[in-house]
Amino acid sequence: MFDVIKYIHENIAEKLGLNNVAEHFGYSKEHFSRKFHQFTDMTFSEYVRHYRIQLASIDILAGDKISDVAMNYGYDTVGGFNKAFLKEFGCFPREYKNYAKASQLYYERRKISMYKLSQRCSLLKDEVVNQRNYMRKFCFQRAVYFVLGAQKAKNNGLDMMMTIASAITNVIRNFTPVIIPGELITGFNFGDGNYGDLFIPKNEAEHIAIMKENAISESDIADYFQADAFFKTITFFAGLDLTPKEEVGLSKQENEAAMEWAGLGRSICSNHTVVGYEEVLKKGYEGILCEIKAQREKNGECSLYDAAEMICKEALHIGEKYAVEAKRLLDSHDPNYAEEDLKTIIEICSNVPRHPAKNFKEAVQSLWFAHIINTWEDSINANSLGRLDQILYPYYKKDIESGVLTKEEAFEIVCCLWIKLYRDYDVQQSCIGGTLTGEESAVNDLSYMMLDATEELDFIRCLSVRFSKTTEKAFLRRALEVVGHVQKGVPFFFNDDVMIPALQAKGIAWEDACNYTQIGCVETTIPGKANPHAVTGETNLLKAIEYVLCNGRSMTYPEINPGIQTGELAHFDSYAKFYDAVIAQIDHILDITCSQVKKYTDTCNSPKPYKSILTKGCLETARDFNEKGALYDYYQIMLGGIPNLADSLMVIKKFIYQNKKYTLAELKEILENNYPDESVRLAFMNKAAKFGNDMDEVDSIAVSITDHACDQLDILSEKYGISFHAQPFTYLWMIVHGERSCASPDGRKAGEPIAYSVSPMQGRDFSGLTAIMNSISKLPTQKTPGTTSAIVEVDPKLFTDRNIDALTDVLVVAGRKGLSNVQYNVVDAETLTDAKKHPEKYNNLAVRVSGFSQKFNLLNEDLQDHIIGRTKHLCL
Amino acid sequence: MSLIANITNISRCSLHDGPGLRTVVYFKGCPLHCMWCHNPETIAFQKEIMFRPEKCICCGKCIEICPGSYRIKDGKIDFLRNNCKGCGKCAEECPSTAISIAGNTMTADEAFAEIAKDAPYFSESGGGVTFSGGECLMQADFVVSLAKKCKDANISTAIESAFFVPYANVEAILPFMDYIFADLKIPDAQLHQKYTGAPNTLIIENIRKISHIHKHITIRIPLIPDVNDSEESMAAFSRIINTFGDGIVGVELLKYNYMASSKYRLVGKAYTDFGNASQPDKHIEALCRVLKEHLSREVNVFFVK
Repeated sequence: MFDVIKYIHENIAEKLGLNNVAEHFGYSKEHFSRKFHQFTDMTFSEYVRHYRIQLASIDILAGDKISDVAMNYGYDTVGGFNKAFLKEFGCFPREYKNYAKASQLYYERRKISMYKLSQRCSLLKDEVVNQRNYMRKFCFQRAVYFVLGAQKAKNNGLDMMMTIASAITNVIRNFTPVIIPGELITGFNFGDGNYGDLFIPKNEAEHIAIMKENAISESDIADYFQADAFFKTITFFAGLDLTPKEEVGLSKQENEAAMEWAGLGRSICSNHTVVGYEEVLKKGYEGILCEIKAQREKNGECSLYDAAEMICKEALHIGEKYAVEAKRLLDSHDPNYAEEDLKTIIEICSNVPRHPAKNFKEAVQSLWFAHIINTWEDSINANSLGRLDQILYPYYKKDIESGVLTKEEAFEIVCCLWIKLYRDYDVQQSCIGGTLTGEESAVNDLSYMMLDATEELDFIRCLSVRFSKTTEKAFLRRALEVVGHVQKGVPFFFNDDVMIPALQAKGIAWEDACNYTQIGCVETTIPGKANPHAVTGETNLLKAIEYVLCNGRSMTYPEINPGIQTGELAHFDSYAKFYDAVIAQIDHILDITCSQVKKYTDTCNSPKPYKSILTKGCLETARDFNEKGALYDYYQIMLGGIPNLADSLMVIKKFIYQNKKYTLAELKEILENNYPDESVRLAFMNKAAKFGNDMDEVDSIAVSITDHACDQLDILSEKYGISFHAQPFTYLWMIVHGERSCASPDGRKAGEPIAYSVSPMQGRDFSGLTAIMNSISKLPTQKTPGTTSAIVEVDPKLFTDRNIDALTDVLVVAGRKGLSNVQYNVVDAETLTDAKKHPEKYNNLAVRVSGFSQKFNLLNEDLQDHIIGRTKHLCL
Repeated sequence: MSLIANITNISRCSLHDGPGLRTVVYFKGCPLHCMWCHNPETIAFQKEIMFRPEKCICCGKCIEICPGSYRIKDGKIDFLRNNCKGCGKCAEECPSTAISIAGNTMTADEAFAEIAKDAPYFSESGGGVTFSGGECLMQADFVVSLAKKCKDANISTAIESAFFVPYANVEAILPFMDYIFADLKIPDAQLHQKYTGAPNTLIIENIRKISHIHKHITIRIPLIPDVNDSEESMAAFSRIINTFGDGIVGVELLKYNYMASSKYRLVGKAYTDFGNASQPDKHIEALCRVLKEHLSREVNVFFVK
């Protein structure tokens, strides 16, 4: 059917009749009609009209005479053309032209995906979304073989580095290769055996039963249950610290601050990476082995080289295992598999990832294998793929130019990869668009194709779009259109024009900064060159108010003293003095967070040999990824509570110091008692300006707090000898932060969630989209290389054609003003409220939760309520 | 001395009152009293209290401030509109925002500062500011002063008016407006008088005059069920529009808006229900065609939902 569509597109200017096209392809008329409808969901004549008029509309906007356009697209009379146009757009061509002109809509129109989902991909999608046959089948293989490999190494007295290498190697050696009927890209990255919504083993008996289903031998199962608990823990929680907490040596105050999440330091030393998969594509594991050898000769023996070599030698065979399996299926004439597909798999997998990828298909397959092994090292969570449209483009371009690949085939491969990424749904992010060197747009055919795949597959896939002043508006418009069509909060947007300078300011070379990408949610990394230690420190800056009012004590947990002493209330006889005290508490919260990070880092023992292979700097310095081997090694400190803190300070400024309605002592009593008088709470909420409405008096407070916090992190970087990156982002911990905070002066009651990242506090933005964008863009985003994140909720009804143009304009201007990141939640409150009551009706409803999207039904009640409570912007 | 005006609201991000993204300034006060008015809080020239009982928490602050206008009745706050002098002190103090005030005295500089906040969005989208109301031309001096400031800042300007004002007011603003939206409500003068409180002769005369001077005028017809949404009405409208000059570039038919009734309650006015006689889109599309057929010149007719 692709050929038919292609034929229609090529002959669109000719007279196209059902009869002669059916004949041309040797079908009967009835059979052809049916097949065509199945494929396109439109009748033949509908499709022809649709495509013609879409093309014609572009010509009309470009200024061609309507009668000429009609003629060019095979219409004998202008009347007939007008009628067809009316059906498609609901107006006549001339009106369309004038109206478009009046609204200055002169962009190229890409109304619908250029590509349709092939039948192959529809079936694969159905399997992965609805049937999920393979989910349970092999889910424990990684866990078991990883632990067994590690245990064996330990028994042989090997060090931690070799233990991890043995674990990975053992997984590669023993896993069962499974090919799913119809797939062109093969290979599983089994999760960690914990499929939240699907199943969690309730007891050991069930655990064993599933393992048996997973084709794991009884002796292996027995060995697994006897293995060190330590290894089982790192299999499942590879992202967390392995060192026992008592060895980290936290002070009493650090523990107290961490307890109420005012300042919580960790050392995220695993997953949350984008490693240099390109190396595997370019060199193959054989090439990489040569490199390891060369480095060893240069730098001498070390455990890292042994580990790296061990993994690569086993990784050579991962493709071959699938080629053998495909050969077996081919020989067995299994009717579920198409011979051609199997032959393709044999050809591709016999070459990669051992050798360099020769073409687009091999590149995608090789990338996928390289990624699988990365996720086997420390679980899937947030190990991401990076700038896919850039990595794959050279292969795509070469194949298209030489004619060995059609665009439709490339689209199918992209869809196959997307389906792979969906299977173990976790935040395996990929990124498209952006700039190459800061001066030119990086958008290419693949960028559009990946948007199309996201729209056509219509399931949750993490996809971020980078944009800059060089990005063509048509691309941004298309991306926003996909946001509106898919309604799952993807893709989301990052502004190169602030991110790149922000990274450069932290000592990252310009060309590397230009190549930044996202990990998991909104965390930033330099692919293949950095260990970004994402979400390492979390802070709730709103706590500063409590500490000032209670002179260092927590108001939420009166028995602890996580703050510093800033003096008795009587001392604060001016707003400036109060503000200074708040700043002092912020400095303290940041310090206590960073000092924890430092302690965790110093005691961290979590080698990552595979990541070291694919991260620049590690092999060269013979230092592991987690031993500062990476070229760039930095820690991201999350700054939470900024909107609430700004709103609270505004209330204090107005009610305590300007109109003097309350004293600080009275305020303290009100908050301690959680607003006994509702009228006081409402007055605080409604009678002082709130962040997010483009009101300078309060926005400027948010700006100065953030600015100060960023500068303070620079000072702390010096103090602790670690590079800290500011990241105004809460992940979904706005809920926990809220639970562990007493009432705040902005009218928020005790226990209620705080605002998400720097989004306005839920329900308090009422001045429209441009006002929110302005407020957020005022923040010092060039000092936050960790991304200043915001979610904006818009009503699905807003995504009409004309409004998307306006939304595009808003995004472009906000970008120029300094917006860092924005994510759109396309939902209305009624739907969400109904979904909470009747989850069964809304299986496919997904919302933007934090830096990621999730099915609404899978969220807990607190999160559901939080999202329902955010303001839905019905108009722009 | 800086001019001041009474403004109900400055609303950002509008997509319906001219091209691109727009900020709309709603002036307070209108000489017409259209029975279907969508913005009843903009009709009176003086400030008005708007009371939303559903938001009230009965804290009694309003009674403390103004015992003459507020009392407790059946355990709830009762607002005695006739005693209200419109000073707005109660609205300032009401914590729940149940009491608010329609009308805000503003200088042209203050209004301009609010408009200018979105200037970059205007230039990107081809949008700008739209003066609406109420009847903005009743405060024409102010509009001129504000429009001049906008023009100086390269902000595109539009006006929406019913044109029931002296021609001098119209003439004053003409040089400063890029787009004009002129309301035409009912073709028949007597019916116009009945439904809006004034005949339509002055309105038609004003639009006719400017249609020979200004180049970008859109006529807006609010479709009121059983009042002006018949094919005959369209024919009658076309007879009037056919007498206008070349400046008329389009006609918009606006679907009836049922949402206004709640606003009438807020300002204590009676709402005239024009029935739930629905206006199916198909009917309006048919009206568009009828109107278009009757127009003597090539003019776009749009259906605005």
